[in-house]
Amino acid sequence: MKKNGKKNVLKPVEKEVVVVSESDDEVVASDSEHESVESPVVSDDDYEIFSEGNDDRNSDSELDSGSGSEDEVHGNYLDGEHPSNEAGLSDGVDNFDQGDQSASEDSREVVDESDSSEDEVGPRNTIGDVPLKWYEDEEHIGYDVAGKKIKKKERLDKLDSFLARTDDANSWRKIMDDIEDEEVELTKEETKLIRRMLKGKAPHADFDPHAPYVDWFAWDGAKHPLSNAPEPKRRFIPSKWESKKVVKYIRAIRKGLIKFDKPKEEPRFYNLWGDETEESRHGLSYIPAPKAKLPGHDESYNPSLEYIPTQEEISAYQLMFEEDRPKFIPKRFTSLRSVPAYEKSVRETFDRCLDLYLCPRARKKRINIDPESLKPKLPSRKDLKPYPTTCYLEYKGHKGPVVSICTDPVGQHIASGSHDGTVRIWEVETGRCIKVWELGEPVQHVAWNPLPEFPILAVSMGQDVLVLNTGLEKEENKMIADLLRVETTPAPDDSESAGSSVSWSQYDKYEGIRIKHFKTVSSVEWHRKGDYFSTVMPAGESKAILIHLLSKKLTQRLPFKLHGLPVCSTFHPTRSIFFVSTKKNVRVYDLVKKKFIKKLDAGVREISSVSIHPGGDNVIVGSKDGKLCWFDMDLSSKPYKILKSHPKDITNVAFHRNYPLFASSSDDCTAYVFHGMVYSDLNQNPLIVPLEILHGHTSVNGRGVLDCKFHPRQPWLFTAGADAVIKLFCH
Amino acid sequence: MPKHYRPAGKKKEGNAARYITRSQAVKYLQVSLSVFRRLCIFKGVFPRDPKKKVKGNHHTYYHMKDILFLKHEPLLDKFREMRAYEKKVKKAVSKKNKDLAERLLTRKPTYTLDMLIRERYPKFIDALRDLDDCLTMVHLFAALPAIERENIQAERIHNCRGLSLEWQAYISRTHKLRKAFISVKGIYYQAEVEGQKVTWLTPHALQQVMPQDVDYKIMLTFLEFYETLLGFVNLRLYHSIKLKYPPILDPRLKALAADLYALTRYADAKDRAIGANDEESELRLAQLQDQLPANEPGALMHLVENVADDNEDDEETIACKTLFQNKTFFLGREVPRESLLFVITAFGGVVSWEGDGAPFDESNQDINYQIVDRPTQSHRFISRDYVQPQWVFDCINARIILPTEEYMVGKVLPPHLSPFVDNEAEGYVPEYGETIKRLQAAARKEILPMPGGEHDDLENSQNLLAEGINDRTKAKAAAEKKQEMALHEKQYHQELKEELEGMQYTPDPNIDDDVKSNVEENTDDVSPEQLVKDDENMAMLSMSRKQRGLYEAIKISQQRKRANVETLERRKKNIQKNKKTSD
Repeated sequence: MKKNGKKNVLKPVEKEVVVVSESDDEVVASDSEHESVESPVVSDDDYEIFSEGNDDRNSDSELDSGSGSEDEVHGNYLDGEHPSNEAGLSDGVDNFDQGDQSASEDSREVVDESDSSEDEVGPRNTIGDVPLKWYEDEEHIGYDVAGKKIKKKERLDKLDSFLARTDDANSWRKIMDDIEDEEVELTKEETKLIRRMLKGKAPHADFDPHAPYVDWFAWDGAKHPLSNAPEPKRRFIPSKWESKKVVKYIRAIRKGLIKFDKPKEEPRFYNLWGDETEESRHGLSYIPAPKAKLPGHDESYNPSLEYIPTQEEISAYQLMFEEDRPKFIPKRFTSLRSVPAYEKSVRETFDRCLDLYLCPRARKKRINIDPESLKPKLPSRKDLKPYPTTCYLEYKGHKGPVVSICTDPVGQHIASGSHDGTVRIWEVETGRCIKVWELGEPVQHVAWNPLPEFPILAVSMGQDVLVLNTGLEKEENKMIADLLRVETTPAPDDSESAGSSVSWSQYDKYEGIRIKHFKTVSSVEWHRKGDYFSTVMPAGESKAILIHLLSKKLTQRLPFKLHGLPVCSTFHPTRSIFFVSTKKNVRVYDLVKKKFIKKLDAGVREISSVSIHPGGDNVIVGSKDGKLCWFDMDLSSKPYKILKSHPKDITNVAFHRNYPLFASSSDDCTAYVFHGMVYSDLNQNPLIVPLEILHGHTSVNGRGVLDCKFHPRQPWLFTAGADAVIKLFCH
Repeated sequence: MPKHYRPAGKKKEGNAARYITRSQAVKYLQVSLSVFRRLCIFKGVFPRDPKKKVKGNHHTYYHMKDILFLKHEPLLDKFREMRAYEKKVKKAVSKKNKDLAERLLTRKPTYTLDMLIRERYPKFIDALRDLDDCLTMVHLFAALPAIERENIQAERIHNCRGLSLEWQAYISRTHKLRKAFISVKGIYYQAEVEGQKVTWLTPHALQQVMPQDVDYKIMLTFLEFYETLLGFVNLRLYHSIKLKYPPILDPRLKALAADLYALTRYADAKDRAIGANDEESELRLAQLQDQLPANEPGALMHLVENVADDNEDDEETIACKTLFQNKTFFLGREVPRESLLFVITAFGGVVSWEGDGAPFDESNQDINYQIVDRPTQSHRFISRDYVQPQWVFDCINARIILPTEEYMVGKVLPPHLSPFVDNEAEGYVPEYGETIKRLQAAARKEILPMPGGEHDDLENSQNLLAEGINDRTKAKAAAEKKQEMALHEKQYHQELKEELEGMQYTPDPNIDDDVKSNVEENTDDVSPEQLVKDDENMAMLSMSRKQRGLYEAIKISQQRKRANVETLERRKKNIQKNKKTSD
């Protein structure tokens, strides 16, 4: 503050002066740390002048002597007359010694005549205690005793006063008396007075504030008391309240409420684990909290450049969900000093605290394994050959999706039914189309009679089931013709059970029989002996499944109640057992004993197809949610294995008759081939190995492969697709 | 019938009986929620996840046994007592019974957590295992300002600071620090104490941000426990190195905020005294041995063995101890003094700093490294290296003295890598990580310069010549061999030099071609990707559902990891491309 004040004043003057005074300032600043005593204020100018004790010795001696006379000397230097003069300094010290002595002599004199001097000499100006502002604009400053005006003296301007001050060594003790309008020079005694007053002491040095007390009133030996009142009674009896209080304290002490000796300071910490006995933790098993995550390279204050996300990436974070957004965005600082405090450190510690006491803990096994080791050890696929792997032939000719295919029992031909209303017969090895029947209605299902000597084909289309003579067997034509002849008199006496709903008639267009049903027929299946066949009408309710006897042209209803909509039906390959699959489960009946045997609960959404293992004890079920269930009938009514293979509906499943193979076809345009080995040893579970995924068909209207059938002798697979193509996959 | 119907007269069974929700627990214990929280924090009781959540998914469940465990806690009674006492004081105040109130206030009941610590950590090692959070919290609070409003008192802050420095002093004294890492969040340290890895984080020594929406009460409750725990742990550790606890520090150094240095000095002084004692005891042992009958040496041997055991350090500790041995450091005014003081002394270096109370000043001729963190250094001593603080941390993480060229004042620093990352497991090694690895390998090989090199023979050949063996062919062969060896060595050194310069290993282009041709051969009519996918599908088919889920989860995590690595590689490529174009 002082420095600034001086600078402001000096600026307009001269540069040299400024330089000098600044250097002085430095001296002042360095010295002022030790000890500085403020001198009386000189109000002449805007600024104040301080006298400085120049070194420790001076200030010490000043304290000793109790006089500040040396200050004037130093004050002079500091105000700039002798900017740096060591001789001057030593002079000053000398001066101080002399001055000190003289001051002490002076002070004694002053004390003696202190009262008289001031009071006797009155002020020259008689205006009294009025604000001087009133005389601001006047030429005079007041009136003397005689009533004459006292003229104002001319004032020096600031520059002159400054120069005068620099010339005059005693300028610091000069004070402008505004009322008298004259400069008063303070004497040493006066400065001393002021200094003492500033320190808060009594103005005179010889005033003793701690003088011993003298009691001027002495009672001893006096004749009369000060008061004549009689002594009150309370002076003679013990205080009740005091004793009550004492009793209270005594009680408190006895009870230990008040203690006089301070409690002993025991060391706060001691060897807590001094005796390491085998002591287990109390309570439940302790689950230690997981340790905080250790920092990675990206959390470094100076990470590699590649850890810092680009601006685009950072803006992309804003589009993410808040949970997915990265919690920490790496930043790079070029040096350690530029790293700021981490603004989330308290918050993160707090979150950790919350986790520690609020998060439920549970032991979880973290397996750190190679995912490949999870795959079960299966026999290598090479050992399981042969199985269909590549597309060998394509049978083209259909105009619509091929819905159903069937091989003849020998394996020379296949029949296929399509939505374009035709049934075709192909030669397997050449791919030649032998025969085409134009039926005029979308075909649902085709099934070849399992007897090789009767090359008869059952076709379901709409509400009709046709039994057609393929004409492939030349010699036995007669017998077949007999079989396929229906007496023109449709017998009303057929109506023991289902007669009224089904009518047998000769098919006119081609050689065969037409069996008209009352609802749409979805599938036809032959019995292994080739005489019986069953039809399924999903909407047929109690007559949904019918069994037809071809030789006698008879039809009968299944004598069981069905639960749910039937999907398809199959005969057991060796025994007189009949499988009916509804949408939820597969029901097994004994046809001879007319008994319900078993219900196979697949637990899938909707069953689409069923196939029976040639051994007869295992069943596979394909479902519309893409699952394939393998049932071991001896084991359980629950699936032995569920294979979630296809992403879309499974359309058909099939077992091979000789080889341990089975396949499933699906709307996702693929067919899977599996190895399904059933052992004769009952203790050994069937072995299921996925072998091959067959691609090739293209998707039409969301439908892919619609049917698949194995060749009866070779490990070949036929697949019929919605793209009107039949493919043969060979090994 | 309701879902969880229980007939009258039948007890609850299973999860319904075993687990209770938090509000039930609070009611059961007849405490307020805040007292329950404090109890849980002190006792280390945490919610557990029942398999079947009887009351619903949105509840916190505590095991009934845990709650019973709390119920029998003496602290619970203590809390009740304190609450009653507070009521008493309040009553006295409101009845204007001033001296009763004052008297009551002087005798407030207090509690200690000593037995709780013993109960939670029956063995010392258990306490060490759980020390991470404790240290992080104590170090954080040591850097926080005291806030009256949040009841964070200056006294506790000082206590935290003292505890944390005592811990650091112990670690640096026993050279147990293993890793240190400067992150944006602060400085991570990892020490190995009695075989336990203890990691903690110290915030940067700057003004910390105090968020408003944090419940400091909870943090202070944790801190209360942690302070006690760390005090006991420190005591035990100090006693294990035969030091008094709490340490008595030089008040002058303490006033200068050089507590850590004061602590290390304290430890050193004690150590010297102990050393003297050891000598004395050995002397006495020798005297005793004379007096003892010769047939009882077993006891004495045992004694000596005990003494020997104390100085035994494991290999890693010795490696840490000797890293900065005989190196002298000087810290500039602008570097974080406390952290570097801790780290360098922990690795055997001698440190001083600019400021009061420093053991020696900047002009000391022994200084090898001066650590500065400023753009330029004006006045330099020739005898020392002026390095940035990161050099120290990289050195200790790599366990070698790294070349200082890259860390000089004003240089752009190489990246600072985390020592906590297993680069191999992560699948991505930053470039500088490779460089450090090579430097480490080089440093190791300095002791045995050439792998499989027959140096002895080489020198011998010269000797043979000097001996004047006249078989010229032999000499010639030796000379040839020497030449060859020299060539080998030259090549080797060239390679090493390249490595040091951080050259990238460029793979042989021929190999790439081979791989490509192989791939081309494989292509069949079915696309290879399809084949791979089919294989995958087929494998999935034969797995059980549980295993399939696990498999898929592992695959997803692997994919994520790979994606991360790919992002890093892509960015790196971009950076390099940008650099090239800018050049």
